[in-house]
Amino acid sequence: MSLTTEGPAATDEAGDRQPQGGEEQPARAACSARPRPSAMGAVPVRLGRPTSDGMTRRFASSDPSPGLDLARRPVLARLMRDRRFQFLLVLPNQIVFWTVIFVGLLGTAVPGLNFGTAITWYVWFCLVFVMMVVVGRAWCSMCPFGGFAEWVQRRALFRRTQKALGLGLKFPEPLARLGFLIPVGSFVLLTWIEEFFNIAGPGNPADTSFMVIGIVLSALVFFLVFERRTFCRYVCPLTTLIGTVGSMGSVAGFRTRDREICLACTTKDCMRGSENGYGCPWYTWPGSADSNLYCGLCTECFKSCPEGNIGLFLQKPLTSVVAPARRRADVAWGVALLWGLVLYQQFNATNVFNTIDTKLNSVLGFPHYPDPVDYLGLIVAGALTLAGAAFVVGRLFGTGAVPARAGKASFIDRTTPFRSFFVPMAYGLIPVVGADYFARQLPKFFHTSPRVLPAAAHIFGFASTRTALYSTSLLGNNGIVVTQVIVIAVGTLAALWSMWRVAGRDLVPVSRSAAGVRLASLAFVAACGAGAAILYVLMHAAN
Amino acid sequence: MAITEPQLRRPATVGGSSTAGGLPGAGGHPQARILTDRCAGCQECVVRCPTGALSMDPVLWVAQADNTACVGCRQCMRTCPFSAITVDGPCLVERRAATLDGHSAIVLGAVAETRQGFSSLEEALAEAARCLHCPDPTCVRGCPAHNDIPGFVAALRRGDLAGAHEVLRATTVMPDVCARVCNQAAQCEGACTWSLAGGEPVSIGRLERFVADNAPVPPPAATREGGGPGSGLRVAVVGSGPAGAGAAWVLVESGARVTVYEKDTTPGGLCDWGIPDFTLPVRVAQRPWDQLVRAGVDLRCGTGVDAAQLDELLEAYDAVVLAHGAGEPLRLAVPGSNLEGVIDATTFLKGAKAALRPGGEVGGFLSSLGLPSQAAAPDGAGRTGVADAGPRVLVLGAGNTAMDVARTARRLGCRAVCVDWMDERYALVRPDEVAEARAEGVEVRFLRTVSTLEGDGSRVRVARLARTEQRQAGQRPKVLSGPPEEVEVDLVVMAMGYRLDAAFAQRLPGTPVRRTDAGVPDRHWLASGVLATPPAGKAAVGTLSLGREVALEAAMFPFRPRVWVAGDALTGPSTVVEAMAQGRRAAFAVLDARPRRPAAVHPRSDGTGKSAGEPGGDGRHAEQPLRALVCYESAGGRTARVAAELADRLRSEGMEATSLPLVKVTAEDLAATDLLVVGAWTEGMVVARVHPARAAVAWLQKLPRLAGKSAAVFCTYSVAPRGTLAEMTKLLEAKGANVLAAEAFGGHGSPGSAATASVHAFAGRLAEARGSLAYA
Repeated sequence: MSLTTEGPAATDEAGDRQPQGGEEQPARAACSARPRPSAMGAVPVRLGRPTSDGMTRRFASSDPSPGLDLARRPVLARLMRDRRFQFLLVLPNQIVFWTVIFVGLLGTAVPGLNFGTAITWYVWFCLVFVMMVVVGRAWCSMCPFGGFAEWVQRRALFRRTQKALGLGLKFPEPLARLGFLIPVGSFVLLTWIEEFFNIAGPGNPADTSFMVIGIVLSALVFFLVFERRTFCRYVCPLTTLIGTVGSMGSVAGFRTRDREICLACTTKDCMRGSENGYGCPWYTWPGSADSNLYCGLCTECFKSCPEGNIGLFLQKPLTSVVAPARRRADVAWGVALLWGLVLYQQFNATNVFNTIDTKLNSVLGFPHYPDPVDYLGLIVAGALTLAGAAFVVGRLFGTGAVPARAGKASFIDRTTPFRSFFVPMAYGLIPVVGADYFARQLPKFFHTSPRVLPAAAHIFGFASTRTALYSTSLLGNNGIVVTQVIVIAVGTLAALWSMWRVAGRDLVPVSRSAAGVRLASLAFVAACGAGAAILYVLMHAAN
Repeated sequence: MAITEPQLRRPATVGGSSTAGGLPGAGGHPQARILTDRCAGCQECVVRCPTGALSMDPVLWVAQADNTACVGCRQCMRTCPFSAITVDGPCLVERRAATLDGHSAIVLGAVAETRQGFSSLEEALAEAARCLHCPDPTCVRGCPAHNDIPGFVAALRRGDLAGAHEVLRATTVMPDVCARVCNQAAQCEGACTWSLAGGEPVSIGRLERFVADNAPVPPPAATREGGGPGSGLRVAVVGSGPAGAGAAWVLVESGARVTVYEKDTTPGGLCDWGIPDFTLPVRVAQRPWDQLVRAGVDLRCGTGVDAAQLDELLEAYDAVVLAHGAGEPLRLAVPGSNLEGVIDATTFLKGAKAALRPGGEVGGFLSSLGLPSQAAAPDGAGRTGVADAGPRVLVLGAGNTAMDVARTARRLGCRAVCVDWMDERYALVRPDEVAEARAEGVEVRFLRTVSTLEGDGSRVRVARLARTEQRQAGQRPKVLSGPPEEVEVDLVVMAMGYRLDAAFAQRLPGTPVRRTDAGVPDRHWLASGVLATPPAGKAAVGTLSLGREVALEAAMFPFRPRVWVAGDALTGPSTVVEAMAQGRRAAFAVLDARPRRPAAVHPRSDGTGKSAGEPGGDGRHAEQPLRALVCYESAGGRTARVAAELADRLRSEGMEATSLPLVKVTAEDLAATDLLVVGAWTEGMVVARVHPARAAVAWLQKLPRLAGKSAAVFCTYSVAPRGTLAEMTKLLEAKGANVLAAEAFGGHGSPGSAATASVHAFAGRLAEARGSLAYA
């Protein structure tokens, strides 16, 4: 080993000799252009250029104003950046609904005094509805059913984990192509079960528990079988209602701040996930969202974007109804079926319906209300009435031209002369449908919501049916009817405005007569609103 | 797209029978279908489609496919973040030309290469035409050296062999060696987009070999006199294996003075003695060293360096790259393992290699092992196939080394049996190596282990084999009870593998580096689709490759100040190409850090009145601006603003400063920085459980060794920072960083406010502390 002898001696000498005078100048010059390991180890990526042709125009109508970016507020940004944010939203609801389950099963059999029944049917649905109309999918961000299943799926309450529990399958494509149709189906089914067992009626509180357990379990199964929030997007009974009615809301959801940055981004952490956040559980890309339809407000994209290019935007009410450039047929049929369902729920409080239902049951040998045939029949009839009206308007005014575009084979995006009227008109009707659902909940709310307090107290052994609040009604029947009609009137006005805008953009270009189609579509909205209002008067505040 | 000829963009043959892969629905034309419900229009598929079959629908803002242009490579499927696209149908890729690896009977004493390259340019071009020139090439991620595979294939297609070689040379110093010894199925070819789609990959290895063998290979362009980036640096490289060669090449090209210490008498390390000539001919193995020595590398063969001499080296050199490999053979401790006739693979391979070369004494070698000397005549007349008689060699192990031993033994006229206790399905051997060995008459028996070796007197004669069981990959096999099998043996060669030299490993805590990454996969790797689960039956090449990246990054960070480690010395036994790539990485890190030995830093009274290179802190040239990296975890944006302000201020102090959010900091950024400033916001419940932001803590915990790197921490807070700074400092110091300063910024600072003033003061303190930092 020669280290101690020639090695160091040689190096020292060289060390002294080497950097001298003018000779060193070029060396120094080269030093400033040092090779960087990054340059040597990088993978040569020659990605194509993403197209931004027509992008500005495509999103002009739906992009929120930069000034309405809530995430610019440091306090809110810090909150939303915190991984515990959504956990803390879900937690209170989680507590409430596990209480519902246990109190429903173990508590008093008097529905009005049972916290499970009281909170679920007297208050919760109304609150969810108000959140929808104001915010959009606010409920989804705090939903205890999906929230719980998501904790299990992620193996964490709020941490970013890498390995998901469960199979992580993709939802079968033929079913995914149906969009909102499956969730509408599950909503119709759930409503039928609720009516059949008289769960909300209010019937046996244990039934409420079973229903909640059923939802939790089915959510859990879907979260463990499929990836992300497949359940919430493709199955959840409430998703169509929250999605469509929520599009009246004033929160646009998480959107890109600068779309060019999103397009140039080659990693799409908001979709695939990064150290700080999961990829969008809802399959939404902030870079192309043009409505709040599928934004679950879970803040994951906001957390994961390495560019800080995502904001939480406000928008004017009804923007997501009128603005989206892309109209989806599944949304339209979803709205139509929801309309059918709410009409059924109004109609079933009338004497005429009772007679029909009883008669049908005796013919078909079905035990009791509601007979599935008239149930489904009325819902479909309601939906087809809408579709028929749109068909007539199309025949009267349409030019028959069909815009050519991609997605020809897809149920959601296929274009036909009928659809070019039906789909936009269904969007325009959303405020009426929303108002109708809300109005339908009002009698229960006004008559029985005060019972929540004695019911809550009853868990701890206080209060009884004799407690004053138990039989307090916030409003008399006449007052309720008036309120309902007002709600419908407000909804109809909103729908008239929406339809005016929708017709101007989507119907006029495919119509022979601009004025005619506008008038016809507005008349259609007014007729729907009037029909609902009349039914409320007939129902006279029945539950 | 770099390629314009349409016939190159799209392989020509269409049709069921000639297409590769047993994909469902093979036959017909591939059909890409977009699930418009879920397609978010992010264009990830559009920018990665190699054939331009995908475009955007301007109204729906979803992707649309032109199926006539689709070749079925399924990159869109793998890269779609929302799995909104599916491709059915066959891969439209022509079949590979028939394999040339047909084995004829091996010949006694023959060391001719068993694997052959393309015999003509036409053959190579036909294969090159199968390459899609993917915009985000997964093969490059599969290649441990990140060779620009589409780039060199494109040059080859233009007929530009020299250009193709130049592309390869940018990332590898031994394409000729790698093309022969790489396990391409687990690297580039396994990650080829065709392979990931279930088809037959482009023969990248053979194309590389064609280029490497047929293009003129220029020697390293040494820039010592011209003054390259390494000029003035003296670097010692310990070991002349592939890692040493990679490091020496980069360093000598940069103008550094490189001394290589090799304990053997010939350079090459494992490439020299560990790989038989029938896989890697000696002229190929020696080529890099011939060229390196000509370029001025001071190669000192027969000069071993042991762990204790590391400090001496550090006194004599500015930097040391340890690439001494993992040369300690594993031995099986069974009764009888110290009998005569039980040797290790190194002894056998070294001896056999010398014996089989021209002028070697095969008979002498065999008798030195105590075997009857066969009538093996390396280049004499009367060559015959190897008879199924002769001395019996039992090779313990059935890995790649064991295959080399057994196949060499066959060439020496012996019968060879390999036993390994793993299941063949989970064994770490290359399947093609096993197949070739079997074709050469080697008996390979898995799920067996030696329980005892017995001899007559001192010489081993009988091996008793027990059966084993291995239920799943990675599981330690279980030895089953039962009557042992007896095998008569004349020689036992232990070839179970190697491990790190214990003395070195002790001085380099943290070696061997484990090549697994438990964190979130790198964003760019995730986006490329290489990590997608491959069709059944294929290795998860993407995951393997990502693991290799861990070691590649580890090679950039010194283990101690001025000591870098690369190759098997870093990771334990691994592959030639990985070692070479790590050696290169380590060399670039040396050039980037430009460390100085103390003797060169302190001015010497030699009359010039000038010290060597006028070093600043850490012996760096004073003229080189310090590089500061201000990285931050921000929630509301305040920490980001402070970081930007700080970076700005450090720039005005004369540093090269950048500010980056933590998620965007790469290992390269970290390795290249002289001053690491970490900022975080303060998380907690006002005054209770106050700590640095979780993401920052996790990031700090995952940092590599910082070996004395200068660092600083800051935090922003609203009420009280409490222990935030102390915790961050502790975490950084645990990684070996030298934390110069810590500062907490309160209040909602806006430009011109008191907060800005305190940021400026902090920057000033940092610059002062870093500037006056004596050599550590």
